[in-house]
Amino acid sequence: MSAADVPEVSIPDAGDPVAPESGAVPVLDVFDLTVGFGSAAKRAVRRSIPLQGIHLQVGAGERMALVGESGSGKSLTAAAVLGLLPDGAEVIRGSIRLDGEELIGAPERRLRDLRGGRMAIMFQNPRASLNPVLTVGGQIAEVIRVHGDAGRRESWTQAVDLLSEMGIPDAARRAKDYVHQYSGGMAQRAALAMALSCRPDLLIADEPTTGLDATLQQQVLELVVEQVTSRDASLLLITHDIAVARSHCERTTVMYAGRVMESGPTASVTGSPKNPYTSALLKAFGTVDQRRMYAIGGVVPTLIGELGECAFADRCPLAAPECREGVPDLRSVGDRRVACVKA
Amino acid sequence: MPLAIYIGRRLVFLVVALFGVSLITFVVTRVLPGNPAYLIVGVQADESTVEAVIERLGLDRPIVEQYGHYMRQLFTGDLGDSWRTKNPVTTDIGVRWPATIELASMAAIMAVAWSVPFGVISALRRRSLSDRLANVVSGIGVSVPEFWLGIILLLVFAFNLGFAPAPIGRTLGVVPPDVTGLYTLDSVIAGDWGALRSALAQLILPALTLAITTGAPLLRVTRGFMRETMSSHHIRSARALGIPERSIVLRHAVPNVLLPVSTMAAMMYGYLLGGTVLVEFVFAWPGIGKYAIDSINASDYAPVLAAVLLSACSYIIVYLIMDILHFIIDPRTRT
Ligand SMILES: Nc1ncnc2c1ncn2[C@@H]1O[C@H](COP(=O)(O)OP(=O)(O)O)[C@@H](O)[C@H]1O
Ligand SMILES: [Mg+2]
Repeated sequence: MSAADVPEVSIPDAGDPVAPESGAVPVLDVFDLTVGFGSAAKRAVRRSIPLQGIHLQVGAGERMALVGESGSGKSLTAAAVLGLLPDGAEVIRGSIRLDGEELIGAPERRLRDLRGGRMAIMFQNPRASLNPVLTVGGQIAEVIRVHGDAGRRESWTQAVDLLSEMGIPDAARRAKDYVHQYSGGMAQRAALAMALSCRPDLLIADEPTTGLDATLQQQVLELVVEQVTSRDASLLLITHDIAVARSHCERTTVMYAGRVMESGPTASVTGSPKNPYTSALLKAFGTVDQRRMYAIGGVVPTLIGELGECAFADRCPLAAPECREGVPDLRSVGDRRVACVKA
Repeated sequence: MPLAIYIGRRLVFLVVALFGVSLITFVVTRVLPGNPAYLIVGVQADESTVEAVIERLGLDRPIVEQYGHYMRQLFTGDLGDSWRTKNPVTTDIGVRWPATIELASMAAIMAVAWSVPFGVISALRRRSLSDRLANVVSGIGVSVPEFWLGIILLLVFAFNLGFAPAPIGRTLGVVPPDVTGLYTLDSVIAGDWGALRSALAQLILPALTLAITTGAPLLRVTRGFMRETMSSHHIRSARALGIPERSIVLRHAVPNVLLPVSTMAAMMYGYLLGGTVLVEFVFAWPGIGKYAIDSINASDYAPVLAAVLLSACSYIIVYLIMDILHFIIDPRTRT
């Protein structure tokens, strides 16, 4: 899992093949992140490599959407950023920097301070993300205590304040409740309060509204955006629904089969996609109100070993022989970056 | 108010269950081979004497009538008489049940004390040393027969090493003044440490035997629930927000595990309270289990029925108490 036992880690310095999109140091800078399952010692055995060189940058105060079908590696990317890869997974190469600080190979103690402190995550299904036998307020207060020097009473007061900032009525009383006493929308607000309790620089929201009905989904996303903005934090919004990206994030990164397919300002990525995969996603999800039942043919491949061709070639309507000659590089094209030989 | 309704419903269930248990046991004991009349008059007695006894006991009546008679007695608190000991069954049980309660309680405490912490720790890391050790220990514990384990422990600790006394009853020392009927507790109440030591010395091996055999499944269940909890979403969330591992385990995971594990422990205790036939037999422990088995061998119906009813009763009551506790402790039952 740690990068220490990987023979050659190529962490590039200045002069990256992919230049930063803006001048300032990004809050999150993921470079060539490659994650595999199965131990390096048994490399001869078939080894799955679900992330194959992810490039992702989130600037200060920026809202970035990470879009892609289920199974394309979005959650795994988030897990790698938090240093919480599942058992058996390890970073094969690449770099992850938070505010310029390298996280790969960082000591667990340091990562623990950063988690919840400078970067935080909220997951899908907020009800399940809160502990059923601890009070909602108590859980938020604990996060506050762990990352600062507030005492029990002070952290409790802060937790109550946070809950009321998130729009939970009668927060002082509701803080003493357990999550099963909360409605779905309220649980989502509580999970957001917990994630934002220590004013992180980066909030990762992994499919935060999947499973909620459309109205509630809209409300929660608006709240997330509003709270993140008012705290000058950056947002990495993970979603399979490109329409969600379009309405809430200024930048979008499209992922497929462990690679970045296209990345840039949301307006241009969704307005004039340069990667056929982005077009396919747009077709599949359309806009919120005129959703059509279009599915991209085929399935997301399970990646065994590193690919030698474009991962989307098998499903791509525009596939040509040159698509199979190698993995397309992520190239700068106009205002964005695209991994497609045809772009 | 929901608690009262809940308890009421459970008590109704208790009555129905006891009714069912009594009916089944009654029928089974009556159709089993073996004629108690011979026990009373002796095998040499002639036909007419035997018949007279059968008639006096009402054994010639239809079984439905016999059962009705038994139930009427039961409602007055009369469990009938033992033909073997010649005592009212309630008297016999009053003497023997404290022995069983003492053994069951000690065994349950010991079982929970080793298996629950072990289960929690072994769940933390797969294939770790404690995980492998837990496999071996629980494997042995669930597959070894109680009486065999009891005999082995006796051979090793009592006869070879001489750490424990011979298995002859509940104490080799003085019997402390009767308050609760539990020798250990009574010696503490009387402040008689010598009596406590000899009571504990007799208790330790049978309790250990039961603690191993009942602790093993408890270990597996604890480990299973702990593994499940540790991979749940809320633990992942807590980790992702930087909660230290110590708090993850003790504050976030363990309380979730204790709810189901305590139910299992209560069921185990209820089972032990009904008398553990084989262990009481091996250690000559004068409890309900031994009373039941001696009575079965003598075709002595009333004690067998009483022992079964007592066993069912204690099981259901312990379970009920644990349920009520959960109702009070578990926030999810509050609305
Ligand atoms: N615990 C795991 N063990 C093995 N493979 C995994 C595990 N978690 C994820 N993967 C692999 O990583 C791929 C990407 O998963 P994920 O990041 O969850 O996708 P997404 O969030 O985009 O739906 C999966 O298709 C799977 O092949
Ligand atoms: Mg996912």
